[in-house]
Amino acid sequence: MPKVLIPTPLRQFTAKQDSVTVPGGTVGDVLNALTGQFPDLRKQIFTDEGKVRSFVNVYLNDEDVRYLNKDATATADGDTISLVPSIAGGSAVAAPPEEVTLSNDEILRYSRHLIIPEVGIEGQKKLKAAKVLLVGAGGLGAPLGLYLAAAGIGKIGIVDFDVVDYTNLQRQVIHSTSDVGKKKLDSAAEKMKAINPFVEIVKYDTALSSENALEILKDFDYVVDGTDNFPTRYLVNDACVLLKKPNVYGSIFRFEGQATIFAYEGGPCYRCLYPEPPPPGLVPSCAEGGVLGILPGTIGLIQATETVKLILGIGEPLIGRLMLYDALGMKFRELKLRKNAECPVCGDHPTITKLIDYHQFCGVPQPNAAAPVEESKVNEGEIDVVELKQKMDRGDKFVLIDVREPHEYKICNLPGAQLIPLGEFPQHVGEFDKDADIVIHCRSGMRSAKACNVLRQAGFQHVRNVVGGILAWSDKVDPSMPKY
Amino acid sequence: MIRIESEAWQSMVKHAREAYPNECCGAMLGSTDGETKNVKVGMVLENAFEGAQAARYELRPEDLLAADKAAREKGMDLIGIYHSHPDCDAYFSKTDLQNSCPWYSFVVLSIQKGEFHHANSWLPNFDQTDAAKEELIY
Repeated sequence: MPKVLIPTPLRQFTAKQDSVTVPGGTVGDVLNALTGQFPDLRKQIFTDEGKVRSFVNVYLNDEDVRYLNKDATATADGDTISLVPSIAGGSAVAAPPEEVTLSNDEILRYSRHLIIPEVGIEGQKKLKAAKVLLVGAGGLGAPLGLYLAAAGIGKIGIVDFDVVDYTNLQRQVIHSTSDVGKKKLDSAAEKMKAINPFVEIVKYDTALSSENALEILKDFDYVVDGTDNFPTRYLVNDACVLLKKPNVYGSIFRFEGQATIFAYEGGPCYRCLYPEPPPPGLVPSCAEGGVLGILPGTIGLIQATETVKLILGIGEPLIGRLMLYDALGMKFRELKLRKNAECPVCGDHPTITKLIDYHQFCGVPQPNAAAPVEESKVNEGEIDVVELKQKMDRGDKFVLIDVREPHEYKICNLPGAQLIPLGEFPQHVGEFDKDADIVIHCRSGMRSAKACNVLRQAGFQHVRNVVGGILAWSDKVDPSMPKY
Repeated sequence: MIRIESEAWQSMVKHAREAYPNECCGAMLGSTDGETKNVKVGMVLENAFEGAQAARYELRPEDLLAADKAAREKGMDLIGIYHSHPDCDAYFSKTDLQNSCPWYSFVVLSIQKGEFHHANSWLPNFDQTDAAKEELIY
């Protein structure tokens, strides 16, 4: 009768015997007889459907029975049957599912990938099996969408609720001039499909929020953060940590950018680096501070590279390292990031276990669906551009202050306005008469509102903010005034 | 609980450092009373993964069979499997999980910049969907 060697951990089910001799003419018979004799052993070796578990290899002497006659392999006296688990692993991603195949058209399309040994057919199948979510189809999302589609990612989701604006075209290369006014989602998906019709594109026409984030993210393996505001950044981070999905992060400002991978299992998250958001208004967005149009190309493609590397499981991923890019100095630097054991979301004792209100957390008001300038209400302490124009035409005596930056003033300015950038404004308060009629403007009305408050706190009585600033002036008073 | 004796531990760490920047793998032999596992020998096995081994390992079943045989000859038991994660934490990755076996302890050694950093022991479940941390003493 053949002998079955029992692995140590299973001896608790065989009355501590390290080998059991059981009758049977084939391997299948022997295993059935064995598990008949020791019923508790059955669950260890067979699934509920009676199949040998996927991690179990059955050896007859020195041969895997899969390469003999499987269950029907004949056994003889003196044979030894061993149960050997198949074990593998590693910190990288697993092999692609077997059902992924490449057509001849795809093989031709991806040939320059296939001839790299580190990618090959196996790697290209991993890309095809991968599901990547892009949060934002703007500056970073543009190069990401184009290149990830070209690379053959199987499924790309895009979350965006914005429409293409004329000021986007300087950097968001996925959108064309003719797309102005169109949904960014549609414009981006169209370009991506044109590059690679094999890619499945899923459009989410919404702002990512605490209510929908987990539902949207759950269908993807990788999340790429191409957002430009703090509430969404914390939201993406926390959702990725909670769902254990890597967050390929990038951010840009003027001439500098950053990139890293957050929330990869075992690595740090965004909150490990920044537990708290900066005070509202301290860090300007691209719309407020400007950005070199090429910059998001560089940073977005670092994100795309890291995404592809993660999927392929090759190279050294940008985990635990924050890449800093300085376009003017043309320098890359790297900061080491450590996982923070005290991190409120990914630390040892997390206090954030579900998504929170990120607008409240970051101290910024919920954005209203971009109210058009025409409908903006004029409140106490404010003045409409049309009224301002009438005031000028009447020759009223008043002080008009522009709190923008000198380089903005050079683009365009209002007649008679005195330039005092917001940063220097508090030092100039003493120069004005407290009883004077003062009107303050900027580009959109945000900065001038702050300047108005500075004066009111200093005891000024007649201070008014120009609603909508230069933008409203261009819309309602002088269309020849450029908007920027 | 799994306790790894000094000699076995030193050989495992040495193996992991020498394999850096690649992953290493091996078997842990020793004894168990059902509660506490005691590892006396760290047996070096070949990483048989075909392809870049910086983030992957694979054990040949034949080698595991040989490790089991060696354990029996020494009057010991095969207790578990160890492998290293170069420049990465000692967590039980999705790949580890999908290619695991609930019968054994899986010790993962984190090797950062070529030096030992920390280690964890894991007990995967039957469905290969989750692994519980096991107390590890070395």
